[in-house]
Amino acid sequence: MRDLLSALFALFIFPGFGFLFACALAFQWIDRQVTARLQGRVGPPWFQPLADFIKLMAKEDVLPHGAHSWACAALPMVSLAAVLTAAMYVPVGRRAASAFEGDLIVVLFLLSLPALAYFLAGWLSASVFSVVGGNRALLQYFSYEVPFLMALGGPAILCSSWSVSSIVVQQSEAMWMVFVQPVGFLLAFVGLIGKLKRSPFDIPKAKSEIVAGPLTEFSGRKLALWHLVIHVQTVVGVFLLTDVFLGGGGIGIGIELGFLSVLVFGAKALLILLALSIAGALYTRLRIDQLVSLGWRVLAPLALAQMLVTIWMGA
Amino acid sequence: MSRMTIPIGPQHPALKEPVAFLLTVEGERIVESALRIGYVHRGIERIFQRRTYVQSVHLAERVCGICSHVHSTAYCQGVEALLGLEVPPRGLYVRTLLCELERVHSHLLWLGVLASNLGFETIFMYTWRDREIVLDIMEELSGGRVAHAVNVIGGVRVDVAPDQVRSILAQLDELGRQVEAFVGVIEHERTFQARTRGVGYLSADEIRRYCVVGPVARASGVDVDLRRDAPYAVYDRLDFRVVVAHEGDVWARTMVRILETVESLSLCRQLLVGLPDGPLVSRAPRRVPSGEVVSRCEAPRGELLYYVRSDGSDRPARVKVRTPTLTTLITLPKQLQDVNTADAFTVLSGVDLCIACADR
Amino acid sequence: MKLDALLEALQEAFPFKELNPRPVPVGETFITLPPDCLHRAVGLLVERFDLRHLSAITGEDVGDEIVLLYHFWDNQGLTLRTALRRAEARIATVTDLIPGAALYEREVSEMLGVTFEGHPGPQVLLLPDDWDDEPPSYPLRQRQEEDS
Repeated sequence: MRDLLSALFALFIFPGFGFLFACALAFQWIDRQVTARLQGRVGPPWFQPLADFIKLMAKEDVLPHGAHSWACAALPMVSLAAVLTAAMYVPVGRRAASAFEGDLIVVLFLLSLPALAYFLAGWLSASVFSVVGGNRALLQYFSYEVPFLMALGGPAILCSSWSVSSIVVQQSEAMWMVFVQPVGFLLAFVGLIGKLKRSPFDIPKAKSEIVAGPLTEFSGRKLALWHLVIHVQTVVGVFLLTDVFLGGGGIGIGIELGFLSVLVFGAKALLILLALSIAGALYTRLRIDQLVSLGWRVLAPLALAQMLVTIWMGA
Repeated sequence: MSRMTIPIGPQHPALKEPVAFLLTVEGERIVESALRIGYVHRGIERIFQRRTYVQSVHLAERVCGICSHVHSTAYCQGVEALLGLEVPPRGLYVRTLLCELERVHSHLLWLGVLASNLGFETIFMYTWRDREIVLDIMEELSGGRVAHAVNVIGGVRVDVAPDQVRSILAQLDELGRQVEAFVGVIEHERTFQARTRGVGYLSADEIRRYCVVGPVARASGVDVDLRRDAPYAVYDRLDFRVVVAHEGDVWARTMVRILETVESLSLCRQLLVGLPDGPLVSRAPRRVPSGEVVSRCEAPRGELLYYVRSDGSDRPARVKVRTPTLTTLITLPKQLQDVNTADAFTVLSGVDLCIACADR
Repeated sequence: MKLDALLEALQEAFPFKELNPRPVPVGETFITLPPDCLHRAVGLLVERFDLRHLSAITGEDVGDEIVLLYHFWDNQGLTLRTALRRAEARIATVTDLIPGAALYEREVSEMLGVTFEGHPGPQVLLLPDDWDDEPPSYPLRQRQEEDS
């Protein structure tokens, strides 16, 4: 009985749906505040993301003629399920809701499902802007995903483990991965910007060009769910980077912190979020061909080189 | 690869005014483009024929929101020439001051729009914040942020008090510092250059064939500026340089406009410091002797032409308005040929369309 | 602009036409030509004097005639004035010499009902697509009823 209760707690409260939902809103607010301050603005009040979500849930839900209504309804739900499941294996503080050898690969796979769903949403929306956005999303996926995967594989190889929880534990005994593999961290960070479709890689949803890309024709509850997917993906992505490169909830000298580890973890995650916001405000959006060129001419070769060095060092 | 038609406009986030471009794309490359204007055609030239000369000043200002003052300047200059009326120097100085302030406003607004369309929201926020400074100055002078209603036939109707001169000079200094920062961004920021260099190239020969005017022409090396070549108002007494670039792409147009803004701020200072004493307006009769006049001004987007014909009554027989945006519109199909979809928006933003001007 | 040389060349090209050059404010010179000579005159300006900048084409309905003004600019203004009979409002296009004239001619064509022979794309410019009254109406032509 106790196991069942603690499992339910982990699934629904912490670090499950409730916590992730709250984090999604909190991260969004922090991101918007930092961006606003950098742009000389005031930024939204703390309850803005929640208000936006509630407002969207209450709005009318229409799709154009010719759009697959059941597919468009299912896609955000499938994506949400994917990112929430991925979050189960990403430790927050001390440990994850669940862990097994190889869960890093599962997490990476689950985190890439929304990209495919995003493209499909554009393709099935029966709108020119959505199709163009979907095409760009797919091109972008192929540019950042390979460096991202290789960069995250580096720490796994060094720790001889493909479990995120295990990588975290090993970092608290030795040294944070960001110091051992700084190039990998940078690549993972840039890949994360592409994955989350944030500026300067917000090409698929280029507001001023293709209205809203694949999500142009979505409205109401479906759009609220899509936004939730994007924000939970942000949370999980930041948490993943914090765990794999910044040592998760530990402070690297073998001390077991207990509950404080959650706060330490939160501080590190906030650092990464801050870096994401600053990077977003600093640059112009790139063109898709420039991103593809960047991905395959700079990022992928660097990731490959780093991977080879890691293997050689480990051997 | 199959072709798709992307409609840009009449309603689109990248467009500030309704105009329609139908882009036929293959993948991400544009193979064909069609242009349709006329969504804000109000028949102003016809309305001119039914209004008196005084009412027409009001009407000329409403052709366009962002270059309203230069429109009424061109019109009033024309009618003053028909009347043989000489505007007092102080009136001319104030008129020129508003012209230059409007140029600063127009270029800052345009830079924000370009940055927003490129995805560089930060610069959009900064330029539109600093634009508030120049809007505050214009409101202090005329009572209106965008529609100033300063010109009357024979001069201007607002004056600049000495304490206003001091406060405006201080605000111009603050704005000057911000504009220098923007110059730095445009010159050095690599992602901005990656998006704008080499995009929308027009050679000097094409400029001359299509009779393009304004910053777009100057960015391709064609050195023409009516303020220097055919000085009107008090430009013959002022010291400024005409900014010319040679790259001919959107980046060059951005450089030309931002450096022109720096020159305009300097002109504003010269005008405020050298403001002569005297009356602001010469009284104008209601009836204009018959005749015709061609009046040209350098609007923020280039050569603005007003042709006025009078038949001796108190209403103009014909007023023809030729706005500079028409000259750049005609180059767009050429600029959009074989271009990336994303670059299409850079091109459209780079020519600084003022559709209200083009449609009248 | 070498105005005197230009006037001389024009008079030489059209020896039997009264050009009537007169100064017009501000800094402009007006020359009158018959419609069938206009294309040749523009050709002369473009080829001999490199005068390519056409600022605008003004059209006006003055009752029995439709007057067209071609405003050129090269440090000074030069306007070619030509008058078409209402019943036969046709003139050769100048877009072959000055491609920039395309939009100006389209506007004059839709507003005054002038046909520019040889224009590459004479669609309406500013008027809506469904502006097809029968008989056709042209917004800038004079009307019989009194305007308010």
